[in-house]
Amino acid sequence: MMDRYTFLQKVGIYIAIAAFLTFVLLPFFEMFRVSLRPLDHLMSTPFRFWSDDFSFAAYKQMWISVPLLGRYILNSIFIATSVTTLTMIVVIPAAYAYARLQFPFKAISLAVFLGVNMFTGAVLLIPLYRVLRTLGLLNTYWAMIIPGVAFLIPTGIWLLRSYLEKIPRELEEAAYVDGASRMYTLRRVVIPLAVPGLIVVATSVFIGAYAQQFLFAIAFNNQREYQPLPAGIFEFVGYQQVTWNEMMAASLTGILPVMLIFLFLQKYLIAGLTAGAVKE
Amino acid sequence: MATLDLNNISKSFGNTRVLHDIDLAIRDKEFVVFVGPSGCGKSTLLRIIAGLEEASAGKIVIGGTDVSNAHPVDRGISMVFQSYALYPHLTVFENIAFPLRVQKLADADLRTRVGRAAEILQLTDKLDLKPGQLSGGQRQRVAIGRSIVRNPKVFLFDEPLSNLDAALRGDMRVELSQLHRSLDATMVYVTHDQVEAMTMADRIVVLNKGRIEQFGTPMELYHHPATKFVAGFIGQPNMNLLPATVKSVTSSGITAVLPGDAVVTLPVEPGTVRQGDQIEVGIRPEDLVAAKGLRATVQVMERLGGVSITYGVLPGGTRICAALPGDTPVREGDTIDLGVPVDAAHAFDQSGAVLRRRNAPQIAG
Ligand SMILES: Nc1ncnc2c1ncn2[C@@H]1O[C@H](COP(=O)(O)OP(=O)(O)OP(=O)(O)O)[C@@H](O)[C@H]1O
Ligand SMILES: [Mg+2]
Repeated sequence: MMDRYTFLQKVGIYIAIAAFLTFVLLPFFEMFRVSLRPLDHLMSTPFRFWSDDFSFAAYKQMWISVPLLGRYILNSIFIATSVTTLTMIVVIPAAYAYARLQFPFKAISLAVFLGVNMFTGAVLLIPLYRVLRTLGLLNTYWAMIIPGVAFLIPTGIWLLRSYLEKIPRELEEAAYVDGASRMYTLRRVVIPLAVPGLIVVATSVFIGAYAQQFLFAIAFNNQREYQPLPAGIFEFVGYQQVTWNEMMAASLTGILPVMLIFLFLQKYLIAGLTAGAVKE
Repeated sequence: MATLDLNNISKSFGNTRVLHDIDLAIRDKEFVVFVGPSGCGKSTLLRIIAGLEEASAGKIVIGGTDVSNAHPVDRGISMVFQSYALYPHLTVFENIAFPLRVQKLADADLRTRVGRAAEILQLTDKLDLKPGQLSGGQRQRVAIGRSIVRNPKVFLFDEPLSNLDAALRGDMRVELSQLHRSLDATMVYVTHDQVEAMTMADRIVVLNKGRIEQFGTPMELYHHPATKFVAGFIGQPNMNLLPATVKSVTSSGITAVLPGDAVVTLPVEPGTVRQGDQIEVGIRPEDLVAAKGLRATVQVMERLGGVSITYGVLPGGTRICAALPGDTPVREGDTIDLGVPVDAAHAFDQSGAVLRRRNAPQIAG
């Protein structure tokens, strides 16, 4: 691509990016700083930004203070992965139907999906609780997975539908003329071409699933072994004191695997924005 | 036997009627070209034949069987799309093999058939590449390859060459004609390029506003255009259509006054034309000669070497185009005489229908 920006414009862009990144990353930096310091330093006045006894002690101590921490981290990943998988299984055919087929109430149902999304999970907690109790799913993994899937399907459909619409219709017509069924075409033509779009959607679903599990966990589950990290972290809140440094260390450790996955996926995410150039 | 008959095909999108009672009988192994201006319904008609679009009324019969409600595969057709519609994530081999994979053909059989198609289309050394790594002409050949592996009875092409540059288009025209001969199949080919139509077709269907204007061999359309529309559409450069007033109708034809008061007697059947009527006289640029007759002021000369395409105006402002010999000593701004060869001239009545010529040449081919 041509270099379209002047030097001054570039400086401006970098300043803006730096400001944005500072805003986003400062909390993480603060978490990391807190996790490295002994607890009594954190409460000292006047507040000291720097101290000389940084250590990774909290990263060892946290596994002892909260013995189930490893389990919580795995639970978090397990729940978010299950939610993402189930959501994608539903979203792919649904988005394809919305992108390509004509059926009654198409526009209205799509709008209703978006409308439902306006209610946060919090508003629906009590009805959801009753539903899950009736189904006998309280205090199981399902209690955190099913509501998660339900709330993420609408955005998934909206995102993927617009991506699928960009795949040239002629490719599917060609497959149809050659005798391929809808499902065969979906499997061999549409999905392979939609991979970048699928990764983008799956990523946003995964992030959504990670973010919302706290609410469903504290509302629908009191089984300790099933708790995800955001709920499990509450165990650092003791009767006498909150071990902030260990809590921050645990949070960062819990996010780490997810971060690594995203680092790996990043190149696909960026490719997803430019791929799909199917014909000139 | 793969004859293709269209019986009274009509098509409406909502309230707009885009095809009107299309009746057509295409013979076995014929190469038929649908030609017409943009939006006249060529693609729609082809898609109806393919089974991608449903006709609002009418019947499609292929090889004597009514296939109006059949799946494309059961119709025995295959189609090549304007944009090639290649699968960008599959190799050339898998693209060509796609229809066979759908049929779940055994692997060995599949390999021989793809291999044979690749050989015909000179793609053997390209089989492992992806479409993105091919040139436009090669992509076009892959699209054709995908359509021939299934041995369909009827091939449908929708403007397959329109994405190629002029030189490549010329080459592909020849290749497609050869392919038609070697495959011995019925082919229906859509284009808006009349040169493609003239050079490749056994017979041409001229479509205008969803109706068939004329169906005939290229030379029939050239010498006997049924309507003013066909006359203006077929032939390069386009036929001149000059307004004229009928002076008298006699047994030897129609005597008419052309712009600039030139009087000519055309040997045509007068039909319902009467003295005093307005008609249009059609003269092909290549039939005009340097002789007494029309007087034109030359505006633009295009010297192509062998011929000089001369654009001028007649008194009264009517434009005229003449194909004169290459080294005609004429300059822009000159006034020239153009003789009207009455035997080669066409006449159209006010409805645009042709008046039959009596001295038309024998049609070659
Ligand atoms: N799906 C559709 N819905 C509504 N109108 C349509 C549809 N498809 C085609 N038309 C209309 O039908 C008419 C014929 O279209 P068609 O594509 O057959 O033209 P064409 O002769 O192939 O033109 P071109 O040379 O530009 O490809 C056009 O006026 C077009 O607007
Ligand atoms: Mg078209």
